Formats: sequence, C-alpha cells, structure tokens
Amino acid sequence: MDYSNKEVLLKVEHLCQYFGNFKAVDDVSFDIHKGEVFGLVGESGCGKTTTGRSIIRLYNCTSGNVWFKGQRICAGTLSYTNAVKKAKEEADAEIAKLKESGASSAEIKAVQDKFRAFVEEQKKEVAAAKDDHKNYNRKYKARRSKELKSEYEAKCNADKANAKQYKAELDAQLKDLNRTDLVTRIQMIYQDPVASLDPRMTVAEIIAEGLTIQGIKDKQYIRERVYEALETVGLVREHADRYPHEFSGGQRQRIGIARSLVMNPDLIIADEPISALDVSIQASVINLMNDLRKQLGLTILFIAHDLSVVKYFSDRIGVMYFGKMVEMASSEELFKHPLHPYTKSLLSAIPLPDPHYEKKRRRIRYNPTLAHDYSVDKPSFREIAPGHFVSCNDAEFEQYRKEIEG
Amino acid sequence: MENKIDVRNLSISFHTGSGTVKAVRDISFSVEKGETLAIVGESGSGKSVTAKAILGILAKNSIVEGGEIIYDGQDLLKISEEEFNELRGHKISMIYQDPLSSLDPIMKIGKQMTEATIINGKVAKKHGKKNFTSKIAELNTAMKAAGTDSAKADKITSELTSVIENGSAKRVAFVQAREYAESALFSCEQLITAQKKADEKLIAEELSFLKERLELSVNENLFDADTVKNLIAKLPENVSEIEKSLEDILDKAQPDFYAYNTEANTETAKALKFQFEQNLPKKKAAVEALEKALPVFNKAELNQNECKTSANETKKLVLDAIDKLTVIKDSAAYTYGSTMDASIERYFKGVTKNPKELRRVEKETAKREKLLAKKGDAPEVIPAVLVDLEMTKGTMLRAVEEVIEKYSAEINNANVHDFDAEAVRLIEWLEEQAERMNSVVTKKYAYDKAIRIMEDVGIAEPRKRFEQYPFEFSGGMRQRIVIAIAIAANPDILICDEPTTALDVTIQAQILELINDLKAKRNLTVIFITHDLGVVANIADKVAVMYAGKIVEHGTVDDVFYAPAHPYTWALLSSMPDLDTEDRLESIPGTPPNMIYPPKGDAFAARNKYALAIDLEQEPPKFRISDTHWAATWLLHPKAPKVEMPQIIKDRIERMKEMDAKEGNA
Repeated sequence: MDYSNKEVLLKVEHLCQYFGNFKAVDDVSFDIHKGEVFGLVGESGCGKTTTGRSIIRLYNCTSGNVWFKGQRICAGTLSYTNAVKKAKEEADAEIAKLKESGASSAEIKAVQDKFRAFVEEQKKEVAAAKDDHKNYNRKYKARRSKELKSEYEAKCNADKANAKQYKAELDAQLKDLNRTDLVTRIQMIYQDPVASLDPRMTVAEIIAEGLTIQGIKDKQYIRERVYEALETVGLVREHADRYPHEFSGGQRQRIGIARSLVMNPDLIIADEPISALDVSIQASVINLMNDLRKQLGLTILFIAHDLSVVKYFSDRIGVMYFGKMVEMASSEELFKHPLHPYTKSLLSAIPLPDPHYEKKRRRIRYNPTLAHDYSVDKPSFREIAPGHFVSCNDAEFEQYRKEIEG
Repeated sequence: MENKIDVRNLSISFHTGSGTVKAVRDISFSVEKGETLAIVGESGSGKSVTAKAILGILAKNSIVEGGEIIYDGQDLLKISEEEFNELRGHKISMIYQDPLSSLDPIMKIGKQMTEATIINGKVAKKHGKKNFTSKIAELNTAMKAAGTDSAKADKITSELTSVIENGSAKRVAFVQAREYAESALFSCEQLITAQKKADEKLIAEELSFLKERLELSVNENLFDADTVKNLIAKLPENVSEIEKSLEDILDKAQPDFYAYNTEANTETAKALKFQFEQNLPKKKAAVEALEKALPVFNKAELNQNECKTSANETKKLVLDAIDKLTVIKDSAAYTYGSTMDASIERYFKGVTKNPKELRRVEKETAKREKLLAKKGDAPEVIPAVLVDLEMTKGTMLRAVEEVIEKYSAEINNANVHDFDAEAVRLIEWLEEQAERMNSVVTKKYAYDKAIRIMEDVGIAEPRKRFEQYPFEFSGGMRQRIVIAIAIAANPDILICDEPTTALDVTIQAQILELINDLKAKRNLTVIFITHDLGVVANIADKVAVMYAGKIVEHGTVDDVFYAPAHPYTWALLSSMPDLDTEDRLESIPGTPPNMIYPPKGDAFAARNKYALAIDLEQEPPKFRISDTHWAATWLLHPKAPKVEMPQIIKDRIERMKEMDAKEGNA
C-alpha cells in the first residue's frame, strides 16, 4: 500500500549519533507516514537500534533533527558548530588572500562582517535547537491547545446548540494533552521478552506502569485499560494478576506489546520483536502485529535482521551499513531492484526453505573499498527512481539509473 | 556406505522437583559417513538433549531410560568417562549456539586453539600404541592358528611391524615437514605483504619465522638441507622465488612409505579367512543359543534368574564368535553384552519399584482428595516415575534378534566374503594406528596448525589474532574460532547445536559456507540442530523433524521440503514467511505439551487442526512413504480421510518447482 500522500508522522533529518569518535549513526534521513510500517535492516552493530533509541530520546542526538507530529523533539547542534568552524577557516583564508593582494581594510571588514553575521545566524539556530530539544513538550502543548481551541470555536460558531457538548470534548482533550508527554506517544517493543519484563511485578502492574507515571489515580479506570490492552493482544483478563514467569515466550512478548498499546501510541518502535522467540510463536506475534496495525492504524518502525520477515511486514525498507543509510525503497522495489552492492550482498545471504535453490545460492560479497571509488567524488543519498533512494556518487548514479531502466 | 553413528530407541528423562520430564522418547536414526543430518523442531523438543547424549554431557539429573548410541563398536551410553575423554574433541566435536559462552574469556585465543591439539596429540599417541601392539599380537596368534608355521608367522608379523613402524615414522616426519613447508609458504605471503608495507619490525619477525620453518621442513623425501641453505641465502630479497620453489615441492607426489612383502598380505588374508571360518560354528552355536534364549525374554513376566543366566551364557557365546581382527565395528554383537546387562538391571528394578511408586501415588492422591473436599485446595501429586517394562523388554528382544540376524547373514553369505580386501583394510588400519603412535605434537607444530586452520576458517591476520582475547572478536569471528577449535583435532563427527541462530544473515551465510566447505574437504559427518528451515535446506542431506521428544518425520531434504507429510512439518513450514509470502501466516496455536505428562496418542494432536479422533487415543506408527521417507501421523493410514497440506505450502512448493524447471531449462 502506498502511504506517501498521508501525513508525515515522523521525520528524521540528517540524524547523527556519535559516541566519542565512534559514529554509530551518521547522517540518516527518512520519513514515516501515518499508518505505514517502515523496516530498518542491517547487520548487528550497523546502528539500527541506536537510530530507534535516538528517536525516542534515550540518547541526546549529536546532530540533525527528529520531527514528530510536526514538532521537533530532538535536535543536535554539531552540524551548526561544524558549519561555523568551516566558515571561519574560509573567512580566514579569504582575509589572508585579501591582505596579500593589498586590499583595503573596508574589503577585509566586509568579509569579517559577513562571517560574524553567519556566526550570529548559527548561534540562533543552536539556541533554537537547544530550546526545542528541551522544551519540545511545552511548545507542542501550547501549539496543540491553540489548535484545539480554534477548532472548538469554529465548531461552536457553526453549531451553537451543541456548544456545551463541544466544550466538554475540548476539556477532555485538553486534559489528556496536558497530562501526557509527547514522547510517550512513541512506544517501544523490545527484543527479549524475558529481560524486558520485571519479574517481581504482576502483568497488570507492568502494563499499568506507564499510566501510573502519567499521574492517573483512578484505579478502576487503569484496571479497565489494562484489561482492554490484554484483550487486544489476545490474552485474557485472568492473566492480569499473574507474574511474567508463568507465561510462555510468545505470551510474554504479547505482554510487552500490551504495555506499549496501553499508552495509546501513534508510533511504535519494534526493536527485533521476534528474533528471540521460538519458531512456532514467531508467526503468531507477526500475525498479531499485523492485526493491530489494521485495527488501530498503528505506525511502526520495525527493526530486524531477518529479511524475509521484514519484507513480509514492511511497506518501505531502509538498509543501513555502518551507521549510514545506503538504500531506501518500497519493499517490493527493494527486493526487485536492489541497487546498492551492500543490499545485493544482504539479499543474497537470505536462506530460503528450498533445498534446490539453497544448494545453488551464491553469496555476493561486499567490500566497501573495492565496490566504490569515493576518493574524488563523495557519495550522497539520491533518488534514483520515484521513492527509491541510494547512497551513491555521480558515476554510480548514472550506472544505477541505467540498471533500473534496463 | 558406512554408518558412522547409530542411535537406536533412545529415551532420556530428567528428574525435576515436580516430576520426571520425558525429554526424548524412543528415537532412532543413523548418519552415514560424510552425510549431514539436520534435526529440526521448536525449543523443548529434545534436539539438544539428543546431541548432548551423543557427547556424554547430559545434566546430572538425567536418566537414560533405554536405547543405544553406537559409534565404532561401542555404546556411548554405557562407556566410562575416561573412555569418553578419548572420543570427545578427538572423534566427536561440538559447536554450541553461543560462541561467547564456549570460549574462555581470560585465555588468549591461541592458547585455546592449541590446547586441544596438544592434549589430543598425547591421547592419540597412547591409543595408537595400544591399538597397534594388541592388533599385531592378535594377528600373530591368528596366523599361527591358521596353520602358518610358527616361526614363519613370527617372521611375517615382526617384518610387518618393522615395516609399518619405520614407514609410519618416516611418513609422520614427512607429513610434518610438509606442513612446516606449508607454514613457510604462508610465511612467504606474510613477508611479501610486510615488505610492501615496509614495516621493519614485522619483516624481521617474519624473516626469522620463515628461516625456522624452512629449516624444520628439511626431510629426506621433501627438502634436502642444501636446498634449504641455498633458499635461506637468498633471503630477504627473493621471497617470491622461495615461494615458487616451495609450491613446486608441495606439488610433488607423496612417496610410498610402506613397502610390504606380498606374503604379509596373503598370510593376513589367510589368517582372516581361517578366523572367520573357525568362528562360523561358534556363530552357529551363538545363534542357536540366542534363539533358545528368545522365549526367555519374551514371556509375559520375566524371571530374574532365568534371564540373568541366559544373558550370561549368550553373552559369552556372542562375544566369542566375534572376528577379533575386524576393524569396522558396526555389528550389534559388540554392544550385545552391555545392552543386555543394563536392560535386565533396569527391568527388575522396575519390577520391584513400580508397584511401590504406584502405591505412593495412590496414597497421595487419596490424601489430596480428602484435602480438596475439606479445604478446596491441595498440592499437586508428583506423578509416578515408572520404568517402562514393555519398552525395556523390547530393547532386550531387539538386541537378541539383531545379533541373530547379523550372524545368520554372515553364516549364509560365508562364500562371498572378500578376505583380501579385508586384509588390506586391516593393514591400512594398522598403518593409521602406527602413525598416531609416532606423531609428535610440539608447541610449534600446534601453533602452525592453529594458524593454518584459522586461515582455513577465514580469519584474516591469524598471527595477530592468535594473541588476542575473545572479547576482541566480533560475533561471527568468535563462532569461526569455535569452529576452528572443533575441527583442529580432525574429528569424525561434528555436532552443531544452533551454530548460526545468534548471528546475522551475512555472518550466518559465511558460517554455513564454511561448514559446507569443511564437510567437503574433510568428509565430515555432521549432525546439525536448528529451527531455521532455510538453514536446513542449505546444509542438510537428511532431515529429522522432532516434536515432544519424538521424531515425527524423517527423510531426505528433498522429501521433507517438496513432499512434507506430517502436520507438524506443515506447521513449521507455513509459520515463517519467505520472500514471496503475502498471505496471513499459519501460526501454530497453543504451546508444546508439558513433558512431565506426555499426552496420550499423537503429542501434536492438541495443536493440530488436522487431528483425527484416533490421534487422541493411539500413538501413530511410522508410515513409510518411500525408501528414504517416513512420517508418524495417522493421516497416512490408508483408511484416513484425504487431507491436503495447507495452501501456503502448496503454493510455495509449486513456486519452487517452477523455479527449478526454469533453471533446469536455462
């Protein structure tokens, strides 16, 4: 299904996450539209999980922006400071050149002023980024409550008779808005259902924890929400008072899913949700997530390394290699026309339950130093065909173009 | 083909606080030399327990309920820990799921790699010597018994001994020199790279290494000392020249180290023939005694004394009738004694213990019911731990019948026995033992070997890696190290317990390629445990699908993937998407049964939408589909309703066949 004309729910722009000198995520950009499942694949250590965690603000991102529901929720500053450094070098070089050629002080001053103006501009950007990063929640609430109020006014004007009812709706919406942090609208499902559930809490406590932290005190309400969540994921009410160890692996993963659903999220980040499960229950968890997606219109960022599952479950797929996004396309397109040599190598490594094919399958090896010549022409992330992006330089761009046409 | 490992009617349980868990229930399979068997199933199906039983590393609370694992004429379930130490690593190696937990974190990789080689070298020396001398002595007596003149027999055997001893010593020296030459060749490559980089320190190190290896490879049949001197004189400039001459030398044919008198062969064949013929009446007697003993073990209630005497008598006769000079020990006669002893003990223990257990359960149930009536709550009763008398009896009967069958076959086919071939085989075996006896594993030798194996399994810069600790390796590299350690001792059988489950697709593909390569290179027999059917399709020749401790379907890889017959295999196949799947997946409802209370009938019935009424009542027998393929499901019974496999698999098989046809025509 094509979601490209739907509202952009999550926008990741040039996201960088460095740990010291180690670039875990380096300049990654993608959008996720409402209702879409976006798959992120790559081998372990390529930065898939870090990307997910940066989005949900578990790390402070180094550079780049993350926009969620139109609000910038993460912003890094490194790109601005780097830009200032670069501008300073350029300005210095220019001034030196001017001095050599014996230019007038006015000319030199002009360059200096230009540089200063640039620095000021960047300073403003940094301040805005820091402000957004810190106060994103307040800003979102302010903007959203204004929107809600104007909506209410419009409604009242159109239909005065029901003003009271609209007022009640508005109050409820405002209350809900004020109580919740914007980021809680993004929820995570973790890989290991054993490690991610506290063994000393009952299932009800685990599922309700998020609600309690939000400050809800109405026990009856919480209980109802917990039951509702349990039933949505195919468990029963009686399970609420049991402990995690009384459940099988698949049921535990269902509890993990219920815990994120109870927060009524707009976006779910599923970090390898089925890798740690046994074969026979993997299918049931995939089916459950597929059902929930249809029922609740969830948007999912699906991180996994099993390509057959990612292909089955996702609408679009991004392939990561050593912190960089190397290719992004709809899942059909990606498997039909893989362009980047790393994607080709990854696809050629998938084992399929077909003995004759398997005996003949040859893995394509990927060696970045042999596959690309980036010594002169640096690569960038470009659109080869509509919706199909590949990291390439000019020469490769032409080559990929031909490949996709031919 | 020769059966490498033969698992028969294996049953294993575990004692736990809440009862006995029946982990493996009566499974049988065999793996031939050079073949790969994949065991598939979900966790808790008993795959790993089977593998651990083969290696004798079951947990302390395990009970072997019955069955045999036959390898090289011995039953691995009944041999001692000391005997196991000679097999583990040396003959049977295992690769575990998590590479980090099978490596010692505070020991350098190199040490961990050479450790096994050195220890195994010592064991091999000891055993080679024992095997060689005892077999030669046996041969001598056999020759004398066959009517060869005593002095002549002594002369022949002593000549044979000296030829083999000298030959093997020379051969071992030659092989080792050759391996040093190979190391020198590798060193040349390293030196060339170091020279390119102009790394002075590395060059110096590599130079001294190369010199040493060249000197070590001096051997009368390979390299004479002068050539080596000349080559060394050319260093450090003419490395490529040295490389070239090393390659030439390594390409040379191996000389024959064993120059026998043909008389040795004919006399050995004569001795073998005589021994065989002499044993024929003994075999006849053993068969007669066994046939007489059959009814003793086939009564409704066995008599302990009768059983014991009859077992002891037949045991002696069967053992006596074995041809002592045979080297391939795959006959059931070797394990007859141990099987009978163990089964009889088990049976009569059960006879006395079972009623007691039943009484206990009865008492506790009564107590529980009282409590239930009174308080409405009572602890569960621990179920009875019973010895399956019928099964134990079956084991005994089968052991007797197998020996009868084997011996009768030998008696009936007495005329077609090829003694010359057997004599050749015997002498080759002696050579092999003598080579083991003469092998010297020094630290230097182990180091070179480790470096070469690291190269083999695709680890770059092995010299540097040799000195590193496990934490300095990535997941895939660690698994390579584990594989390298497992194959360092040149095992017969490699057991892989989910070796790629914890790895990424790309690394998984590399590891599978590596195992496939090694299989082809070393003619390894592999038992591969996994739950990923894609991996099975890649690596297996035969597949056994396990569920609840039983094998439910068994066949060649083509049988199982192109014509699956058991509903559980269908469920496994349809629960994972492949690249063309778009329909809803067929998940398997419910959970595997609690094996403390194994279900009656077909264990999979409760989760099986194709289950028939009989599935809940009676266990399905193995229905034969073809010579290589069987499945245990009532659906294959001629009277069963016709059930089609799920659409999702049908479509997939259709697609696979189409693709195959297309490729075939292209």
